[in-house]
Amino acid sequence: MLATLLQSSLVRLIPVGMVVIALQRTIFTDLLVAGVILQIVLAFVAAAGATGGSERGAVAGFVLGVMFDLVEGTPVGSTAIAFTLGGVIAGLLALIAADPPWWLKALFVGLGAAVGEATLPVVRLFIGETDPWPADMITVVAVVGVGAAVMSPVLVPVSRWCLKIRGPEWTAPAEADPI
Amino acid sequence: MAIYTVGRGRVILGLILTLFLLVTLDLRGNPVLDVAREGFSRAMAPVERASDVATNPIDRAWNAYQRQDDLERENAALQDQLDRQRGTQAAAEASIIDYQLLLALNNLDALANIDTVVAQVVGGASNNIDQIVEINVGTNDSVAIGMAVVNQGGLIGRITDVNQTTAKVMLVTDPRYSVPVEILGGTGAAATDDVTVSTSPSGRTDEENDALVEASQTPAPGSPGDLFADDPELPQATDPFGPGVLDPTAPVDEQVPESTLLPPAVPAGGGDLAATTTTTIPIPELLEKEFGVLRGNGASRPPQIRFVQDIPSLAILQVGDLVETSGGSSSLAPPNIPIGRVINRADRPGVAGPLLEIELIADLEKLNFVQVVLFQPLSEVGG
Repeated sequence: MLATLLQSSLVRLIPVGMVVIALQRTIFTDLLVAGVILQIVLAFVAAAGATGGSERGAVAGFVLGVMFDLVEGTPVGSTAIAFTLGGVIAGLLALIAADPPWWLKALFVGLGAAVGEATLPVVRLFIGETDPWPADMITVVAVVGVGAAVMSPVLVPVSRWCLKIRGPEWTAPAEADPI
Repeated sequence: MAIYTVGRGRVILGLILTLFLLVTLDLRGNPVLDVAREGFSRAMAPVERASDVATNPIDRAWNAYQRQDDLERENAALQDQLDRQRGTQAAAEASIIDYQLLLALNNLDALANIDTVVAQVVGGASNNIDQIVEINVGTNDSVAIGMAVVNQGGLIGRITDVNQTTAKVMLVTDPRYSVPVEILGGTGAAATDDVTVSTSPSGRTDEENDALVEASQTPAPGSPGDLFADDPELPQATDPFGPGVLDPTAPVDEQVPESTLLPPAVPAGGGDLAATTTTTIPIPELLEKEFGVLRGNGASRPPQIRFVQDIPSLAILQVGDLVETSGGSSSLAPPNIPIGRVINRADRPGVAGPLLEIELIADLEKLNFVQVVLFQPLSEVGG
């Protein structure tokens, strides 16, 4: 079981996740765009989903979401639910294209991040918080989504490395023997 | 490329159900999760420090690009404000000292009797919902959950999470924040009156006033501007029980005359007393209090006060009225901490009472040094 764990993507995902969370809690709290904090952790989860599919996106959302809750002090699992959904939505790209171009990946990363950010107040409402909605919810969701799409060219290769996913290799079909 | 299958759907469903289970366990309080949270926070600390150092140049460049124009405008406005405040600062300090002495004289809760811990803000919230900052003091410094946090402007929030060396502060603007407050009816009119004096009542030179302002920008115990100073000293406060100022044997309601007459100041280095003037600050005839509950309303919206009784025969609540904590046996904040001023009043039909919007005195976007008030109400300490 230990060997399985060591060979899984968690070995890379957890330390990379710690770095991404550290970046979120340091520089990204100051890098405000239209007064909105960009969510690099959520973008990374969405990138993992767009790269590896809904299941891997859900696993990445689960792991990074729990880590984020542990360090932020929010109820463990609350942010993770939103992150998991974001990873699942971004992973729906696999239903559309086997080898999507970069712009399609960026689109789904942005979509997954937007869904995750929109789900966060819903989860907070579910666990009993009153009025968890930001004043400008539409702006927040839009900026987070666009920001994630912009960061996707960097996050998609990193997530592919973390999840140990090889890019598709196109091979020429074997030529038929004329005789 | 992975495709969606029934098996994978079960994995996703299982993960989500597990997360709901974790949320339920954590909301009910689970020691395993608490230990995990503490341990992971410690593991993340060096990573965050390294990230902070590595990204500092980018942060500075971004702030320089974003805020250059705002900084120039703010600098000009602050210089103007500083010039105006030089003349009134000393007079206000004397009034605060006299007030605290009155409270102590009558064994009432006084801010000067409460210990504080100075802290620095080291981090902020990482999402767009919570209004939380992190400070660099914890249980090692006697900080506990529920304690009020203030800065030079006034109340900024309360402690919601604490470990050995750090703590999280929920700001007043967080929608989950609430605190009992009192509204000093009638102070709105007094605030607009011109109390600027034509001479410096303290007798200090401009250079001495500049040094005083600089000292007030970093909190120091005993500094004149420190509400929680044990024995702040000012030239005109050396004899608070002198003739014509306070009579310790008289009842409280007779000790505060209609106008507060400050004793004449002694010029720096001695000199002719006739060269200075006394300053009279009129106190409104009606200074009644209304009570309510202040609740945060999000980062971009002003906090609101609800459950105000609004009895016009006692006081007419108006724009500009001062708001401060009311204290009480169950309030987590001690009384008389300034919070802000009323900027808007909305009358609601029926018996709902008016809704007041507040402009905070403290600037929550520029927090640096703060003070944790080491105060716990009797209901918390079990006394």
